[in-house]
Amino acid sequence: MPLLTIATFLPILGGLALIVLPDRSARMAHGLSITVTGLVFLITLAIWSRGIVPGGFAQVEEIAWIPAIGAAYRLGLDGLSLPLVLLTSLLFLLSAIYSARISARAPSYVVLMLMLETASLGSFMALDGLLFYVFFEVSLVGMYFMIAGWGYEDRQRAALMFFLYTLLGSLPLLLAILGLYLSSGTFDMRAWIDAPPLAGLGAMLALIAMLFTFAVKIPAFPVHTWLPAAHVQAPTAGSVILAGVMLKFGTYGLVRFALQMTPEAFTRAGVVILAVGVFSALYGAFAALAQSDLKKMIAYTSVNHMGYVVMGVAVAALASDPAIRVVALDGAALQMISHGLVTGALFFLVGMLQDRAHIRDMGDFGGLLNRVPWLGWAFVVSAFASLGLPGLAHFPAEFQIFLATLDAQPWAVVAIVAIVVTAGLYLRAIAAVFLGEVNEKWTAMPDLDRREMLVIVPLLFLTVLVGVAPSWLLNMIHTTMASLSF
Amino acid sequence: MGRDLPFLIPEILLSLAVVAMLIAEMVRMARLALWFGLAGLAVATVATLPLLTTDTTVFGGTYRIDLLSGWAKLILLPGTALALLLARAEIAGQPREGSVYSLLCLVTLGALMLAGSGDMMLLVLGVVLTGLGSFALVAYPRDDAATEAGMKYLVFGAVTGSVMIYGLTFWFGGAGSTLFSNLGALEGKPPIAIAGLTAVIVGLGYKASLVPFHFWAPDAYDGAPVSVAAYLSVITKIAALFAFAQVLRDLPVESNWPLVIAMISAVTMTYGYLTALVQTNLVRLIAYSSIAQSGYFLMGIVALGASPFAIPGLIVLGAAYVAMNLGAFAIILLAGRGLDDIRGFGRRRPAAGVAMVVFLLSLTGIPPLFGFVGKVYLFGAAIDAGYLWLAVIGILNSVLALGVYLRIVVPMYQSAPDATESFDKPSPRSLTAVIGVTAVLTLCMGLLAGLLPG
Repeated sequence: MPLLTIATFLPILGGLALIVLPDRSARMAHGLSITVTGLVFLITLAIWSRGIVPGGFAQVEEIAWIPAIGAAYRLGLDGLSLPLVLLTSLLFLLSAIYSARISARAPSYVVLMLMLETASLGSFMALDGLLFYVFFEVSLVGMYFMIAGWGYEDRQRAALMFFLYTLLGSLPLLLAILGLYLSSGTFDMRAWIDAPPLAGLGAMLALIAMLFTFAVKIPAFPVHTWLPAAHVQAPTAGSVILAGVMLKFGTYGLVRFALQMTPEAFTRAGVVILAVGVFSALYGAFAALAQSDLKKMIAYTSVNHMGYVVMGVAVAALASDPAIRVVALDGAALQMISHGLVTGALFFLVGMLQDRAHIRDMGDFGGLLNRVPWLGWAFVVSAFASLGLPGLAHFPAEFQIFLATLDAQPWAVVAIVAIVVTAGLYLRAIAAVFLGEVNEKWTAMPDLDRREMLVIVPLLFLTVLVGVAPSWLLNMIHTTMASLSF
Repeated sequence: MGRDLPFLIPEILLSLAVVAMLIAEMVRMARLALWFGLAGLAVATVATLPLLTTDTTVFGGTYRIDLLSGWAKLILLPGTALALLLARAEIAGQPREGSVYSLLCLVTLGALMLAGSGDMMLLVLGVVLTGLGSFALVAYPRDDAATEAGMKYLVFGAVTGSVMIYGLTFWFGGAGSTLFSNLGALEGKPPIAIAGLTAVIVGLGYKASLVPFHFWAPDAYDGAPVSVAAYLSVITKIAALFAFAQVLRDLPVESNWPLVIAMISAVTMTYGYLTALVQTNLVRLIAYSSIAQSGYFLMGIVALGASPFAIPGLIVLGAAYVAMNLGAFAIILLAGRGLDDIRGFGRRRPAAGVAMVVFLLSLTGIPPLFGFVGKVYLFGAAIDAGYLWLAVIGILNSVLALGVYLRIVVPMYQSAPDATESFDKPSPRSLTAVIGVTAVLTLCMGLLAGLLPG
């Protein structure tokens, strides 16, 4: 059975079914949304059980699309994309459950969500350059309408900025893809990876174009400025998808396209890329420290965490010892998953806080831990995970990245300062919101209800599991990274 | 002669249909004229299908039956049928209704001649035939704005047309023949080649509204009925661009004319979108956007001899452009001409709102819509031909384009200050049909792009 295709297109088919359905109540829409995303999650579990193979792609599904130009519908998986696919289907399911309280134009909201899920899964599984680009761009459209339609106060401006910025970001990738195509005669990404078609100046130009695209998406300094605006204005589920899934397009592309398809140019530019990663990590941490808006703070910590991923990939390209390369790549790939779990949980929690208080400024809260212990402790655990505490999800990832960095490019370890800064800002946030004097305004604040528990508990469980016993996930990643040719 | 006629069946059928339409209009049966037109266009389209793979010329090499002219028929004939339906929705019951239908079909006949021209005389004939009919169509409403627009269009057309004829005499003198296929004889005579090329750029550039020959377009579109503006923005424009391709295919590359076309392309798309960014009248906004779109077509013409993707790119973007631009005009017909008129439109008419979003995103070039496929071909062709910088400018303009089109999308989903009743009146069935057909084409043809030539 073509499970990859089914998983990719089931969401959008569900969306189409909702459009033609006579009953378009919010209840019906959310019921359908949870059913479909739940089914997709089960299908991705089945895909996981089928497994992957070392050195190449597994479970490939291929159909001719535009044979005249060598473009085909090609899907497949390896140890880099499979964990991301699982993360995507999980976060969409949880977002669907969380969103069940949205009543304004619920059917349109659900259709957009489902469209986004198709685009996200497709982006991670596509093995055809053109197809990847199609999914990649469709996700922008979906996210634009989601922010513009269901965001907060300043949503129009944020949505416009997001769309223009990321379109400007993604179009250079199209040029790079066309360049790869014109020099190889096919859009098959496997062919581009096996025998990188570009060399010399062409490869460097393509790499610059790709780096620009993925740096905007990741987002890395200095092209990160769309992120805080988009995150703050986006509805909660939108923030979760944006941070948990869509930022990963950038880091996934960094490995899949930039590193694997222009390896030689990537190594030459490695020091610059590493420096960008280090600076992003530091900048993100310090910028987060300056925020009092909880959502904005978490948005900036994304810049910080994704900076570590960039560092890991750059170190892998620069390291001469193959063992260190694998450690760096394992760490970078694991960091993507950890970030999805932890930041997803943090955005959900801030969203839940905002649902109750309708504000997000940490100065307006205080002493909430006694009022809402579940929400409070969940936030504390996620925050500790985010600052890299051992035993929680980010630790094994960041440990491997820094280990490899120390070995290959010791100077870059200055980025470790960012971890200290992150620790400081999270402790400050916890102190301001959950400890200290109780703000009388919030004495009646209810704790997490059953639906919210259902969203948060799986994420916390996985955060601890990945922190304590990451091997089930790392083995999957390692299978591919150990045999990655570049 | 006897050999030639079977290749011309589509054109002959369309001419017969026009005659029948004129007779119907004479006896004041406008509906009948419409039906004759639709039937003629449909039959002519079907008659084109067996000719698609032919590559030959008729009438002593003056008229080309090739891939480009075949697809031109397949694009322009159904496009005209959609324009007829649009016109029906707009001017039903008005006096001289049937003459609009007949003129639309007649201009299309000229457009087919342009797209298949293999000879200078035929090119001039095509320009004149499309021109005369278009002037009358623009001036149809007989009010001040329309008369002024028609006049402007006519004067502009007369001047550029005579410049073109004057310049073509240089080519005739240099090559010793009016056939484009003999233009190779101009090799080694750059001054003559350049003189003629300049004239052709003026003449066809006017028809395709390339910068700096575009000034008539926003005024003419705005003064004309919306359906006529829609028609002019796609049918005559694509015909002129295809004719451009037919002419330049045979011109020796020695004087580096592709660079000149590339520069016009860059200027045209940038100027078109920058100007569109400040328009508050939807018709003028789309007029400037369609000027910019001409710039994208030129990318294919730049790469004509150098890349195998140039001709398929022109055809695919042509087909996509007909669908999405006609669709956008159909929505303007439904919602109104002002940027304020469209406020809240998407909430009151969800289906039509989604259709408009699809048209506009396709015009931007967002995948997987039809317009994206055309642009990928043309970007690829430009890079293939060594014009990476042009592709980069095209891409930057796509971002500008998004800014332009979102200016329409954003108010569509804002709540209207006071309920606009005009949204709630039922739309004519022919208009619904046009929107439906163009939206389905724009949505689905991107995915079915394998069916197209390449």
